[in-house]
Amino acid sequence: MRLFIDKLSKAYGFLWAVRDLSVEVDSGDLIALLGPNGAGKTTLLKLLAGLITPTTGSIRFEGTSRTARLSRPRTGLLMPADHLYDNLTVRENLRFFLSLYGQPSALRMIDAALNEVALLERGAQFVGNLSSGMRCRLSIAKWKLLQPDVLLLDEPYGVLDGSGIDLLEAFLRHQAENGGIVVMASHHVSRALKLCSRALILKQGRLTFNEAKQQPWTSFDRAFGEFLPHGERWSS
Amino acid sequence: MELIKQTLLLLWKDLLLELRRRDSLLTMFFFGTLLLFVFHFSFDLPPDRVAEMAPALLWLAFLFTGTLGLTQLFQVERENHCFEALLLSPLDRGALFLAKSCFTLLLMFLVEAIVMPLFWILFNLQGWNLLPQLFLVTLLGTVGFCVLGTIMSAITLRARARELLLPLVLFPLMIPVILATIRCMENIMSAGELGAAWSWLRLLLGFDVIFVTVGILMFDRVIES
Amino acid sequence: MALISIAIGLYWGLVIAPPDAYQGEVQRIMYLHLPSILAAYLSYFLVFIGSCMYLWKRERRDDILAHSAAEIGVLFTALTIIEGSIWGRPTWGVWWTWDARLTLTAILLLIYTGYLMLRSLIENEDRAASAAAVLGVIGFLDIPLIHMSVYWWRTLHQPPSILQPNKAPWENIAWPLLIPLLINIAAFLLLLFYLLSLRYRLGEMRDQIRMRRLEQSP
Repeated sequence: MRLFIDKLSKAYGFLWAVRDLSVEVDSGDLIALLGPNGAGKTTLLKLLAGLITPTTGSIRFEGTSRTARLSRPRTGLLMPADHLYDNLTVRENLRFFLSLYGQPSALRMIDAALNEVALLERGAQFVGNLSSGMRCRLSIAKWKLLQPDVLLLDEPYGVLDGSGIDLLEAFLRHQAENGGIVVMASHHVSRALKLCSRALILKQGRLTFNEAKQQPWTSFDRAFGEFLPHGERWSS
Repeated sequence: MELIKQTLLLLWKDLLLELRRRDSLLTMFFFGTLLLFVFHFSFDLPPDRVAEMAPALLWLAFLFTGTLGLTQLFQVERENHCFEALLLSPLDRGALFLAKSCFTLLLMFLVEAIVMPLFWILFNLQGWNLLPQLFLVTLLGTVGFCVLGTIMSAITLRARARELLLPLVLFPLMIPVILATIRCMENIMSAGELGAAWSWLRLLLGFDVIFVTVGILMFDRVIES
Repeated sequence: MALISIAIGLYWGLVIAPPDAYQGEVQRIMYLHLPSILAAYLSYFLVFIGSCMYLWKRERRDDILAHSAAEIGVLFTALTIIEGSIWGRPTWGVWWTWDARLTLTAILLLIYTGYLMLRSLIENEDRAASAAAVLGVIGFLDIPLIHMSVYWWRTLHQPPSILQPNKAPWENIAWPLLIPLLINIAAFLLLLFYLLSLRYRLGEMRDQIRMRRLEQSP
């Protein structure tokens, strides 16, 4: 599976959120999507997910066209605290989404997944009562069960604790190793770069950097240095 | 088939959520009852006139109550952006339409099942044996309302002044349903059976069938953004 | 363009010229009344076509067509109602009556005013276009049903005497009256297309300005 993004642009009113973006992505790629606030990362993720339509340009998966809704790879979007029903329990949420995607929703499977993300004891709690870190774990469990071909993440590091981060990274590595595509927008530069196989930098909607990871990554230092907090340096 | 399965799944989810918070159902029920009281005070009808006005008053009450339910219809999906989650999935948009329409229909059914007998009691009406027939006709009219209302609720989701816009676009389109249902009910109440009103009933059925079909076919266009 | 002015000129001439009318001068209103409602119906049909095409192909021009046709349709409908009112006053003694035709016309006005309001209340242009297109299709599909229900309602309950004036126009119409009527219909249709092309052009220009501003943004 290959993903072709060709001159992709999206405008809201008179402002371009994403401008003239062209990238090719292969299966197995784990992409770190970096950039300052308001650079268009979330917009790009939503465009890739098919939730919004581009103003110009196209997104194509090899052989299949995105505009034909039926023939697109299963795409997951992990927004840490979103896409869960507050007034359903943890188990009910998983059961609902599994059924929605046409997958068997046996209790064993759900509980096994909850166990992996250390949420088993909270299986009967309402999602509205969970902290954002726990909700993120639940989202991870959800996408682990749904096994998407393309997984998009929007700032997952912010809410997770240490073990949560380990969980997440193991999951993402597993996805990439099994032929999936992962695109993760993050401000947590050092961890994102450790994990990724390729980095993209978005600045004011335009792609200013697109390279596969290398050691040492001096070109990245030059490209990204200006976005780090004052006095900080990242290290691979 | 797939469409039915997905519809039932979404319906299960909506009913479960409604059961837990009971936002819509209780508000609708109380609003409907409140309207009955307001009508009683506003109209002050002599007992013999009430039977004539009953169908119209009931339908007015149901229309306004139903509109209340419709404005709340997609609210549960807007929390936590769950709407996006639904769009992301391989969900047939027609199933979303059917599920939301059925959900509204169920709420309306419950409200009507209580408000109608209540109306009979409050306004001292006779002819209790006619209630089942009347209820059936009301239900058919409600189907038309829910179907068209779901579509209108969806297209006005992101509009300003949504609570005003929804009735504004919905009510003119509802005129065939309003006329047909009230005429049928009047006939039942005066003659004890549909009789001459059969053609109205057919109109009502036609309306329901047409717009359920249109809804299923067009709903993906309705919620594209 | 020249054709339009000729058409308008023609109908002016005929308004001054037509022969007797059994209801007196006021009958002349029919020369305007009928063509304007026909123009309105045609406009709404165009809204329907534009909306269907837009939902299918998502081309800007279909949306502009639908929007323009809706505005002009509302214009002609309002005109029809005012003319109907002017006719009604001397004829029946009232400014308004709930007879089938007037009621239907009023409902049409409500539906398409709702359409225009929907468009103006949605911020995002594309979303407004989609929403309006759906309403455009559904509204038009509902019109035959509304027709049937309103006509049945009025014919089953009203005594025929009140209904006669409504039936007058196309049944038993005398030949000398028919010709100016047809010419006026043609004239109104030409007027419709003229206004439509103006409004369409306006819509296109608006789109172009938007595109240009967008391109020039950083």
